[in-house]
Amino acid sequence: MDPLSLGLLVAFMTIVVLFSGVSVASGLLIVSAGFLLVFDGIRSLELMPEIFFGKLNSFALLSIPMFIIMGAAISSTRAGADLYEALERWLTRVPGGLVMSNLGACALFSAMSGSSPATCAAIGKMGIPEMRKRGYPDEVAAGSIAAGGTLGILIPPSVTMIVYGIATETSIGRLFLSGVLPGLLLVGLFMAWSVFHTFRYGSADVLARRTYTLKQKLEILPRVIPFIIIIVGVLYAMYGGIATPSETAAVGALLCLVIAMVIYRLWSPKKLWTILSDSTRESVMILFIIGAAGVFSYMLSSLFITQSIAAWISDLEVNRWVLMGIVNVFLLVAGFFLPPVAVILMAAPILLPIILAAEFDPYWFAVILTINMEIGLISPPVGLNLYVINSIAPDIKLKTILRGSMPYVGCMVLAIVILCVFPGIVSWLPNLVMGPV
Amino acid sequence: SAANATELRLSHQWSTGDVRHKVAEMIATDVAAAGVDLDIKIFPSESLLKAREQYNPLSRGQVDMIVYPLSYSGGQRGEYNLTLMPGLVKNHDHAARLNESPFMEEIEKILAEDDIMVLVHGYLAGGFASVGECITRPEHVNGLSTRAAGKSFEEMLAAAGASISSMASSEVYNAMQTGVLQAVNTSSSSFASFRLQEQVKCYTPAADVALWFMYQPVLMNKSTFDGLSDAQKEALTAAAAKAEAWYLQEAKAEDAASVEVFKAAGVEIAAMTQDDFNAWLELAKTSSYKSFVDSVPNGQALLDMALAVE
Amino acid sequence: MATLPSTRAASTGGYLVLRLIKGLSTVCGWVSALMILASVLITCQMIFVRFVMEKSTIWQTEAVIYLMIGATLLGLPYVQSLRGHVNVDLIPILIKGRARNVLAGVVLLMTMAVVSVILFYAFENWHFAWERGWRSETVWAPKLWIPYLALPLGFGLYLLQLAADFVALVLGVDRAFGLEDN
Ligand code: NA
Ligand code: NA
Repeated sequence: MDPLSLGLLVAFMTIVVLFSGVSVASGLLIVSAGFLLVFDGIRSLELMPEIFFGKLNSFALLSIPMFIIMGAAISSTRAGADLYEALERWLTRVPGGLVMSNLGACALFSAMSGSSPATCAAIGKMGIPEMRKRGYPDEVAAGSIAAGGTLGILIPPSVTMIVYGIATETSIGRLFLSGVLPGLLLVGLFMAWSVFHTFRYGSADVLARRTYTLKQKLEILPRVIPFIIIIVGVLYAMYGGIATPSETAAVGALLCLVIAMVIYRLWSPKKLWTILSDSTRESVMILFIIGAAGVFSYMLSSLFITQSIAAWISDLEVNRWVLMGIVNVFLLVAGFFLPPVAVILMAAPILLPIILAAEFDPYWFAVILTINMEIGLISPPVGLNLYVINSIAPDIKLKTILRGSMPYVGCMVLAIVILCVFPGIVSWLPNLVMGPV
Repeated sequence: SAANATELRLSHQWSTGDVRHKVAEMIATDVAAAGVDLDIKIFPSESLLKAREQYNPLSRGQVDMIVYPLSYSGGQRGEYNLTLMPGLVKNHDHAARLNESPFMEEIEKILAEDDIMVLVHGYLAGGFASVGECITRPEHVNGLSTRAAGKSFEEMLAAAGASISSMASSEVYNAMQTGVLQAVNTSSSSFASFRLQEQVKCYTPAADVALWFMYQPVLMNKSTFDGLSDAQKEALTAAAAKAEAWYLQEAKAEDAASVEVFKAAGVEIAAMTQDDFNAWLELAKTSSYKSFVDSVPNGQALLDMALAVE
Repeated sequence: MATLPSTRAASTGGYLVLRLIKGLSTVCGWVSALMILASVLITCQMIFVRFVMEKSTIWQTEAVIYLMIGATLLGLPYVQSLRGHVNVDLIPILIKGRARNVLAGVVLLMTMAVVSVILFYAFENWHFAWERGWRSETVWAPKLWIPYLALPLGFGLYLLQLAADFVALVLGVDRAFGLEDN
């Protein structure tokens, strides 16, 4: 069988196996073992444990559990609520202050957490009930937080950017910087939609400005100090010549744990264990997928499928924007079903040579890919953020959450279009800080 | 016919622009041109196996050929540490003589125990780069946070008073930029591929005198080679001999090319004198050589064999 | 649909063996969490030693990598017992009753098969490293059988938890894919 038909067969079998309800990581191992056994002989299975081990044998992967711990530690405190409250008291001149503050808090929180579900939970736990109490429609309350939470993987630090950086050998520092302005662009679009929808819904009074006394404004300030400590501490470690980006993650994790314990008095071993065990669960799940995806890409490469697909597409000679369109549809569909890390690991080795051959910037592509993955997080059937919202606001129907988040998907698609027209939004900041590539 | 040609798989860690990829490509092209039904498929950039995880699969025949810095497997076969030892190789012509010596025969015997043979011998050289003053003598690294390619070099630098920071090669650029690292010691080709010319103030390349030489041969599974037809063996051996000559010539050119890159970026270029070299060598004898002899049975004899090469 | 992990941990129906295995997996989870915590502390210690004390950091990077690998592998049975390995249960929600149970059984058996294969070769690999005294190629040079042990141990315990899940499914004490009957 030629490698291209073999590739089709692998794609088909992967879809069948993954849809059967097997865990994504085990599914990848099953498909890999099956194809290696049939097309490379039984002895090729010998290598599976070594490939798995080798894939995890990388210091940069350390930052994944670290950034997850940062998010988990802070979201177990009331820091998220403090953050949006502070924003609201100071944003009194802005209509729809509460939803704007919640989205702003999501963006700020994303600067500390590498994972989207953690961001969602941290802000949403208090933010959603508060918005509903003040009369915001359920669609906006749930949808804005689901969408705002996805910023966790676009605004640095980001677990998926780390995985992309490792898979494509691009600079993680530059990837992080590339995500900043597109992240702010998305926040802006989310805010615009939230205010517009609330207004159209007939809740103009909800949007009415609230006024706070100077005393109220000042008394909330000390409560955002922990955030400032963390952000300044992490940036200082990273840019002050103290630690490399992966090492900085550990500093951030320790800082967040200490702040949760000292400032928020999270002393009880049971609560600390909850933070640790939640982080362990999410980290192990992601790292297992990374190891298994390593075996999967070994299988693809060993059967010469990766190389043949890349060669085939670059021989197609389609317009580069048609190519980008096809790649986007592929990523979107994959993102509907698979968690971001799995999509990146499976697609990056195949897509990156194609993207580079069509002269697209790998950092720009990382941002486009991440926004596609963000869409997957708030769309069925595997939309992790939807389930987080569902678990923190159980009385909002899943259907309502979904209907609420769909317009935000529209905002993300719009953002992709804007970034295609103005790629400078991605490259401006990294070029400014790190110099041109 | 091509349909039932023998297919060999060659794995290595470098990009397709690298000299070591071109060596592999030369062999593949020449063997294909010989028309002996032998097809070599190259898997570059760790697309099949990770850099440090190629030796055992080669030994077991799961990949047929690799281009591989042999000292990567020094933890498995202590003797291989001699293939990246400070001051053991003086220059590229000396390296070529070492390849033909009884010392290399001993190394090849050990390789044969793992069912591996050498197809193409080759050494690549390297130097130092720093964000502060130029490094030519041991006292220059005293107190610097340093990363070295290779265990023996780290032992020597630690003896010179440097603090050794182990970190992934992917982090070196960033670490030099922020000052986490102040000096690096690696191969000429790595310097340019890490784009370190953008971050460092001084570069001490491999020139007439050099300290850092690493043996990076093309290896092949011995049973796979033995299973080839005589015509195939002949074509492969001929292609390998031609590639070896070219590899030696390119290894010299690599050093000069890296100097050009650093010069163009406005980096100061320093030169190591014979006297500087001797100072390093004295230090190496009491640190890395000693540690090698202590940890490898029969290590002294093997070291003497290598040192005996004129 | 994908479900949040915390909502559906493994049910043991009070069977002693199933409870013991689940307990073992939980202990693995503690060890895994402690390994992650240890890597946070070791990394911070490394930064301190290098930046403040200006001393060599020889063992930390490698130790942290091995701890992370250990945490991942020992975490496998724990996350399995909590149903925390993310999946796409598109087909399971389309079918009901007996068919869904059969599918769940097949999925578990396939997973166990592939895990057994990896376990077998992982043990072989570990045994080689142990017998031949392989070391890592660094100044620290730890014996490689120690990190390699994580593979057979982790996959072995994962296999045990999968087997327990299969038994629970057959005995009817756990629901297929953790889905409600409807
Ligand atoms: Na983030
Ligand atoms: Na989805």
